[in-house]
Amino acid sequence: MKHMIALGLLVATALAAAPVAPQAEKSQVAKMTLKVGDTAPEFTLLSDQWKTVKLSDYRGKKNVFLAVYVLAFTGG
Amino acid sequence: MDSPAANAAFAKQISLTFPLLSDMNRKMLKTYGILKGYNVQDETYEWALRANIIIDKQGIIQFVEEGDSAVDPNTALTMCTTLHKKEPAK
Repeated sequence: MKHMIALGLLVATALAAAPVAPQAEKSQVAKMTLKVGDTAPEFTLLSDQWKTVKLSDYRGKKNVFLAVYVLAFTGG
Repeated sequence: MDSPAANAAFAKQISLTFPLLSDMNRKMLKTYGILKGYNVQDETYEWALRANIIIDKQGIIQFVEEGDSAVDPNTALTMCTTLHKKEPAK
């Protein structure tokens, strides 16, 4: 892992829970728009140390493993 | 979204060695198409999918998985090792 930076993106929130109501309708098919071979769009996020982290910070330096982890603080 | 403060507490609790990031304005999730909108009784609600994305040093996406398959990170981790082995030795 020395040459790889792993970035965990925790986006858990109580509001993130999927609705179980029967009226719930998916407005979009849940598919990401990104494909292998595409240039990854730049992003700026806040780290747990309150510092901004940009994808471009790692350009030419490290591979990036981005884990988008929703519902991190739930039992499921 | 979890705030940086909540993430810091979690990172300390489980001794993480990598940064935890917060997308407080949901920009990244929208750009990457991970944030999905759902309509419930004429209101739209948004939440994110689980996803694992590997971006190489050149900024090119090398691996993408989402949803249920992204819960287990092992496939992505194997890809990381493969990617690292491809790089010329320094």
